[in-house]
Amino acid sequence: MFSRSVLAKAFAPPLEQVARPSLTATSTTFRACLHQSTTTTSATNPPTEPLSATVRAQSSIPAVQPTFQTSTTPVTRADVPADKQPIAPAFTTPLKVSQSLLSTLPQLTSQKPHYITAHLHDRPYLLTEGDDLRLPFLMPNVAPGDVLRFNRASLLGSRDFTLKGSPYLDERLFECRVRVLGVDSEPLRVKEKTKRRRRHVQQITSKHRYTLLRVMEVKAKSVEELQREGAIVEEEAKA
Amino acid sequence: MPVQGIRSVTSARNGVGAFILQCKRLDFHYCDWAGSSRGMVSFLKHQLNAFAKQNPQIEIRVSPRPHKHPVIKGHYINGREKAVCVRNLEPEQIFQKVNLLKQNSGEKNKRTKKPVTSINDSVRGIWSPYHGGLKSV
Amino acid sequence: MKRLQLQRWSSSALSSRVRTGSRLHRQIYYSGARFQSTTSNSLQFEDDQSLAGQQPTPPSTNSPFPQFTKHQLPSPPIQAARESAKLAALHARLYLPSRLPLETLARCLVDTSADPNFQFNNNSLSVLGHDLLTNYASEHLVCTYPRLPLTVIFAAMYAYAGPKTLHAMSREWGVEHAAVPGGEVDPGLLQFKRVAPGTNLKEARPLVGTTRPNEDQTTWRKSITSSVVYDNVFGDPELAAPPPAELSDNVYPTNDGINSEPPVTAEVASANFVRAVVGAIYLHAGRQAAKRFFEQHFLSRQLDISKMFNFSQPARDLARLCARENYEAPVAKIISETGRRSRSPVFVVGVFSGRDKLGEGAGASLVEARSRAAVAALKGWYLYSPLEVRVPSAMEEDGAAPWKPVYVDLGEVIV
Repeated sequence: MFSRSVLAKAFAPPLEQVARPSLTATSTTFRACLHQSTTTTSATNPPTEPLSATVRAQSSIPAVQPTFQTSTTPVTRADVPADKQPIAPAFTTPLKVSQSLLSTLPQLTSQKPHYITAHLHDRPYLLTEGDDLRLPFLMPNVAPGDVLRFNRASLLGSRDFTLKGSPYLDERLFECRVRVLGVDSEPLRVKEKTKRRRRHVQQITSKHRYTLLRVMEVKAKSVEELQREGAIVEEEAKA
Repeated sequence: MPVQGIRSVTSARNGVGAFILQCKRLDFHYCDWAGSSRGMVSFLKHQLNAFAKQNPQIEIRVSPRPHKHPVIKGHYINGREKAVCVRNLEPEQIFQKVNLLKQNSGEKNKRTKKPVTSINDSVRGIWSPYHGGLKSV
Repeated sequence: MKRLQLQRWSSSALSSRVRTGSRLHRQIYYSGARFQSTTSNSLQFEDDQSLAGQQPTPPSTNSPFPQFTKHQLPSPPIQAARESAKLAALHARLYLPSRLPLETLARCLVDTSADPNFQFNNNSLSVLGHDLLTNYASEHLVCTYPRLPLTVIFAAMYAYAGPKTLHAMSREWGVEHAAVPGGEVDPGLLQFKRVAPGTNLKEARPLVGTTRPNEDQTTWRKSITSSVVYDNVFGDPELAAPPPAELSDNVYPTNDGINSEPPVTAEVASANFVRAVVGAIYLHAGRQAAKRFFEQHFLSRQLDISKMFNFSQPARDLARLCARENYEAPVAKIISETGRRSRSPVFVVGVFSGRDKLGEGAGASLVEARSRAAVAALKGWYLYSPLEVRVPSAMEEDGAAPWKPVYVDLGEVIV
């Protein structure tokens, strides 16, 4: 996610600040302040530039899969496996919405509450609004109070309907924001290590630290919102 | 009366709307004479001011504690406190310890296996054996 | 919509001057004794100047009253607010607007039981804050769930803005309590006179003098509609305001330095503090800031309204509801069952109105399953929520879209 946002900054003017790499530059923009404007306003702005990524996943019916082009992920780090590489960040084409999605999306958006399976470093987290999320790692360059936006999700659903991504949903279809609460640590672990034929027991200690997050909102965007943000309805070729 | 209301209390979700830092107070104890407080005294002289300015939501108390090792104590909103002994530490290391206390939630350190904890009901409901695909024996 | 001049009519709460004509002044115990400014100098408005011009206020330098030392004052002096680290930390922790001065926040922390002087305690602010909170909470509830029964609305109001919730919030804000109020105490601590341990609160405060007529008749039936008229926003009996004749007797009470106010519990005091903060934000930073504060701190808390219903006879209520709404009479049918002759049978019963299934429930007996199904159907009706909720106070923003009337239902069925 971080490398994704860094890439987004490098390649194209980003739609919204996905995650903040620097602490000091914009440290006040996302805090909960009474006297400051709310942060979500930038999300509603229509994209100034048409965007890129291929249409990933817009089917709420698993049986009918829309035409899906494999996204070209830029290989930035060779040591990272292919499925953990960041998604291509630069959008060049607006979001394309298929007819089937257009007809079924209102059923999903009108049924509340929603859940989302957000992916962070290729790990899925099933989240609803207000959930506590303790990441299994320490997230760098974040401070308590920061707001992050999760932009990679495979599932977005309500009680009766689910929008499935293949493998991931387009990030313009939903909004999932989390707030950094702080850093938590675990009790000290002691592992006893022994070698053969050596009467000595090594005590290896470790104490990991984890980032605490709180899910602020999970929102499925309605068709009107998508069209306001510049989504294009795709004409389906009748076979 | 056909239906009665059951009184309850809303439960807090810090961070969903407003965010409140859980660390409310930091106590710094030092000794003027002892050598183990040298880093602490330098931290108090040079870095504490900037730290306090950056974190106005934390109340900061500095008090001498003669003939003892320097200690930083964090007081949290849940009523707990965490103390870190910073004897013989450099100012940079003390700064890290201060940050650790600041970012902490104040809870007792626990080992958890599940990353997500939720107070909401399950969105998709609980599976029921009496619905759908019933098999009669 | 023309914006109201906030400062004009809120000056009674902001003004530092002693006003001889006002009703507030008649309740002042230390009248003329403490000429301390309750507001910072930047907040003196022209309205204040004009009001002050009518009433000459003697400067404290040549006043005939003796100067009080810190230890004689019932609450911390105004000047102490700038020196308190706790207070500044609390101000920053809540992200309060910078227009709200520390002195006002210090005033919010002084309860009536600590300082009976109405110019130095939080009474006026908490009255305003309580009205704002209940206004915002009630419009949110009624617009979001237009079909809720009134008893459930009362319970939900209590959950959002009741004293228990406010007490929990003040704890989550990190507000500490002073052991005993006094002038020398840190102004960042909540100051109130505590109830002595072991006091029976119900015995100590019998509810006499409520607004309800015939309040001594405890066996009379109290209808829910009458509680709209006579009771407070939580459906509790409300104490009537003292008649104006009593007030006039109290114009210049003798001040023996004895605080005659009754002690309060920590719950009451911290609830008053939270309300006073909301009132202070409204006065200093305006309506929008107060509403945003409400949304961020109160509405963001989790409340499951579906767990607040307590039906006594759900099947009967559902039948009445269907009759009222001109649906077909509800019929309970078994959907599936298992182990009828065993020790642990399970029946799944659905309640149908014509061809539509209204609700369904499972239980160990047919009656239990039917009543659960009826409860599910009733909750499905009462918990209807429109897709896009807009509250009336959204119209107060500049450039708001024209108001469309919201749907509000008749309410619960009357049996």
